[in-house]
Amino acid sequence: VGKKVQAIYLWWHKPVIDKELLQSLPNLKVIANSGVGMDHLDLKLIASFGVKMANAPRAVSSSTADTGMALLLASARRLVEVHNISISPSMEYCEADILGVKIAGATLGIIGMGSIGYKIALRAKAFEMNILYHNRTQRKAQEEQAVGATYCKKIDSLLQQADFVMVVVSLTPQTHKLIGRRELELMKPTATLINISRGAVVDQEALVAALQTRVIRAAALDVTSPEPLPRDHPLLKLKNVIITPHLGIKTDKASYMITEEAVENILAALNGLPMPSEVLPS
Amino acid sequence: MWYHKPVINEELLQSLPNLKIVASSGVGIDHLDLKLLFSYGVKVANTPFIVSTDTADLGMALLLASSRRLVEGHEMAVSPDTEYFPADWLGIQVSGATLGIVGMGTIGYKVAERAKAFEMKILYHNRNQRKKEEESAVGAVYCKKIDDLLQQSDFVLLAVNLTPQTHKLIGKRELELMKPTAILINISRGLVVDQDALVEALQNKVINAAALDVTYPEPLPRDHPLLKLKNVIITPHIGSATKRTRWVMMEEMAESIEAGLAGLPIPREVL
Repeated sequence: VGKKVQAIYLWWHKPVIDKELLQSLPNLKVIANSGVGMDHLDLKLIASFGVKMANAPRAVSSSTADTGMALLLASARRLVEVHNISISPSMEYCEADILGVKIAGATLGIIGMGSIGYKIALRAKAFEMNILYHNRTQRKAQEEQAVGATYCKKIDSLLQQADFVMVVVSLTPQTHKLIGRRELELMKPTATLINISRGAVVDQEALVAALQTRVIRAAALDVTSPEPLPRDHPLLKLKNVIITPHLGIKTDKASYMITEEAVENILAALNGLPMPSEVLPS
Repeated sequence: MWYHKPVINEELLQSLPNLKIVASSGVGIDHLDLKLLFSYGVKVANTPFIVSTDTADLGMALLLASSRRLVEGHEMAVSPDTEYFPADWLGIQVSGATLGIVGMGTIGYKVAERAKAFEMKILYHNRNQRKKEEESAVGAVYCKKIDDLLQQSDFVLLAVNLTPQTHKLIGKRELELMKPTAILINISRGLVVDQDALVEALQNKVINAAALDVTYPEPLPRDHPLLKLKNVIITPHIGSATKRTRWVMMEEMAESIEAGLAGLPIPREVL
């Protein structure tokens, strides 16, 4: 059977691509990933076997941006907390205790202004938010103007001014633990951290400490390290944390589009044609 | 007056001969018997515009949370029984979907402005059609018949005020016109929806889900079926519940009261 396999469509990191698997599939030509993140793959190893790789960047950006906004809004208005109050058998609560944060006029700091980050800026602008962004490179002036975004060359400047910090980078050695104790302490005590990138971009222990001691107001995480977290993890018990099970691209439409993109890439690779979204080891 | 308390009836008005003004929090005045109040020479003021943005924001928050099953997802993420996240757990895409706004007043329009940024197609139903420039600015298409809106929308958002005409505006017939994949969001008043019909529609999968900031009554009795349905998000009437907005509402109400007591023109007077 191993000799027949020419392509792998990776669905949620399975199967695990290691040396053993690659050696057992001598005719493997291409691996297509169901998503944009490639941090779970050893790109150099795979390339060394002459296997091409592809991700699905087009399909993910809108639904992931939607997830980021959903978490921002849910956290600002304390949706999970107040829903639980609404359905609880004992309804005792004080109105003043469930007030949320006003979004219009607040400042959103986007860390990572790629396709997803930019779509978030487009959405946030409609909510009358001020937008700051930090990125490896500055975007073109027209792109900045279209969303009213101001570039922060230093991440510190963004962290100090933002009411909401949204992390939208890909996981690389440079972004590993990008948000640690120092960064959290630079944030306002009234600020909210939203992570839709990868759990490992945030120093989780530092985050727990920051939330417990009110160094920041709240966090909303679509990604953690690992997924799911161990059941006794402190993040699961904090009132001011919303955790979602990596919903980023989990919609009917996105799943369909991701599969279409993967198939396009696989067919191109098998026919020796240029692949629409080939990923090269760098 | 805060959240409809105290209840203004004949008895109360008779016991307060020097009452000059009632300042009501928020924009809705369906809980006030205006005829009765005016007959006692009492003036009325509300806080109509300050609540619009936060209420529109909450409408979008509920739309997004419901479509992506955020509350359910959080529960799974923190539940002691969860061992892994299932790969086939999906929500409904918001970007590119069709939003039908019932009631295109200030709040409805602000929802449209936000939804446009999500590349949503916007349909709206209103007593009157909006001006062409207003429609083009948000890409909204007028549906003179509510049926057209209900049949085409992936999300139906209610942003009308409560009047005898909008009472039970959404009943069994309207729910059956909606797509089975559609989600109903209510940020207007509980009585705009026939609640029993809604429960049935949700139980029988006539529609996909609902997200309600308002119910009738508020709060619902603790044994009400809406509290038990997995595909329902309920929030305790928090449309305007942000620190900043509540602060401004208080300021506005105090301002109206001072003007009323001084015999000056009353800001935000309800006539």
